[in-house]
Amino acid sequence: MDVLLQAIVNGILLGGFYALMGMGQNIIFGVMKIVNFCHGEMLMVGMYLTYMLYTYAGIDPYLALPLVALIMFFLGAVIQHTLITPSLKTKSFTNLLFLTVGLGLLLSNGALVLFGSDYKSIRTSYSQTTIPIGPVSVALPRLISFCVLIVVTIALFTFLKYSTVGKQIRAVSQNPVGAEVCGINVKRIYLLTYGLGIALAGIAGCLLTQFYSIFPTAGAGFGFRALIVVVVGGLGSIPGAFFAGILLGLLEQMSALFISPSYSDMIVFITFIVILVVRQLIIMRRK
Amino acid sequence: MDVKKAVGTYHRNLAIVIGALILLFCLIPVFVKTPYIINIFVLVFYISTMSMAWNILGGMTGQNSLGLAAYMGIGAYTVCLVVTKLGWNPWAVSILAMLVTGLIAGVIFFPCFILQGPYFTLVSIAFAESMRQFIINSEFFGRASGVGLPFGGDSFAQFRFASKVPYFYVGLIMMIAVYAIMKTIDRTKIGFALKTIREDEDAAAAIGINPTKYKVIAVVISAMVAGFVGFFYASYIRYVDPDLMVQAKSTEFVLPAVVGGAAYVEGPLVGGLIMIPLSEFLRANFARVLPGINMIMYAIVLLVVIRFRPSGILGWYMDSDFKKFIDEKILKKPPLDVLEEYQMMNYESRKGGK
Repeated sequence: MDVLLQAIVNGILLGGFYALMGMGQNIIFGVMKIVNFCHGEMLMVGMYLTYMLYTYAGIDPYLALPLVALIMFFLGAVIQHTLITPSLKTKSFTNLLFLTVGLGLLLSNGALVLFGSDYKSIRTSYSQTTIPIGPVSVALPRLISFCVLIVVTIALFTFLKYSTVGKQIRAVSQNPVGAEVCGINVKRIYLLTYGLGIALAGIAGCLLTQFYSIFPTAGAGFGFRALIVVVVGGLGSIPGAFFAGILLGLLEQMSALFISPSYSDMIVFITFIVILVVRQLIIMRRK
Repeated sequence: MDVKKAVGTYHRNLAIVIGALILLFCLIPVFVKTPYIINIFVLVFYISTMSMAWNILGGMTGQNSLGLAAYMGIGAYTVCLVVTKLGWNPWAVSILAMLVTGLIAGVIFFPCFILQGPYFTLVSIAFAESMRQFIINSEFFGRASGVGLPFGGDSFAQFRFASKVPYFYVGLIMMIAVYAIMKTIDRTKIGFALKTIREDEDAAAAIGINPTKYKVIAVVISAMVAGFVGFFYASYIRYVDPDLMVQAKSTEFVLPAVVGGAAYVEGPLVGGLIMIPLSEFLRANFARVLPGINMIMYAIVLLVVIRFRPSGILGWYMDSDFKKFIDEKILKKPPLDVLEEYQMMNYESRKGGK
């Protein structure tokens, strides 16, 4: 029973990261209708940024969080401005797809050149601390990261729902031409959206450094799971992404516990395929 | 008669140029003895072939698959397992490998054809990854360590050579044959149907093209070519492991097509001929100091091409004055209306014949 409880708690905490990644991917996909295939690599960049700030400037990972988010936001905005916005005009999904794939290649291999392939990690005084909650024990960094996730989710939800920029973002995601007619600067919204999505990946990366090794391909698994979260949680839905992320984390932990840890990846992927196909069948039936 | 003569000259010139190119490739092993260079050409041949396999699905039909390496892996595994466990002849198994990959692509993948755009891409990645995970966890497939082919003396029947030169020729033939198949598809009804689906799937359905049927055809052809390349790869490397099926490999196979020009049948060939030797050169010379430098170069070329020449290197060439010069002065290509008239004449005579 304790094992089951522990697995549930672990699943929820792991799912928090998927949710955070998924939210970033969700607004990018929702607004520009492009799949950001370098999302996992952005997470990796966030991890290395935190690592550099910690080793060279001595900034605590949690204090570095806003800084990392800000740097990542600008990185995303620059990429959007120089590469993605000009390519959006061609309306070629293939090109946009391989643009982000190429960016991912550039980032992961750039990290390989700059930092080498060895695993790095950040060990702070509190990274090994665990807090017992009833029969289960939870690592303090995981708990903190989950709290950050909840704060980010609420902030993002409020931002998109009530602020002017948030409303503009939603307007562009529904109809870019209509939004432009209404006087919204669509290019600026694209810039903000991509920056915001990348900043969220950066936040996830920053939080992840506490209990995950830092290496050039660290983000690959997370990147794909972010896409699963988007599809399962529904386009443009922040609460959807939140719950889908946690469900995914739970599914992974449960299948590791009940079936076999080595099959948990496969089960996640097959579940994803089934969900996609069933979802499309439902859409087609409605038509 | 004048039309016939002009077009005849053009076709003759075209045949001479293509023949000269093929001859040039055939002569490479005669003059170049370094196994390293031959190896690069073998890489060019099979990666370009994989890229063409992707191109019928991605470039022609507009369904961006990112899981092609999985089919190549399945082909390679079929060859390794059947040859080691049942002792069949590898050439016979190559047919079997194509059937197996075609069957897996057509039957297991079938429900996924209803998905469109990005969802198709996602499912292709998920599908490839679950295949890989399945193989890693399966005792029958040798888990993570993979399966090898038996070693022994040189034998054509076993497709086993110590030298790289025979693989060079088989690879070259494979590439040319696949190119010929793709070119034929491009010019026949299937090709037009696929391109219509790429431009507008609903419109295609409205004019009587069944999108699902043609997508199945494209995926199965693509997978069967990948399966055959898997056979070639397994015979060349003499070994296959799940690392062949990682997603990075699938991406690597697509890049030549996108850089060369995904809308053209020749795109993967052009991209492959330029990118792979460059990549191998960088890997050989700088990999010890800067690991991953070849992939960085790949990525930068890809970004630059997409940003500034969205239709690829070949698309750029098609619009350039250089092509005009070659067409007019060297190939003596007649004007478009003459070509059209020739096609009409051909059509009429064929109709009259029946």
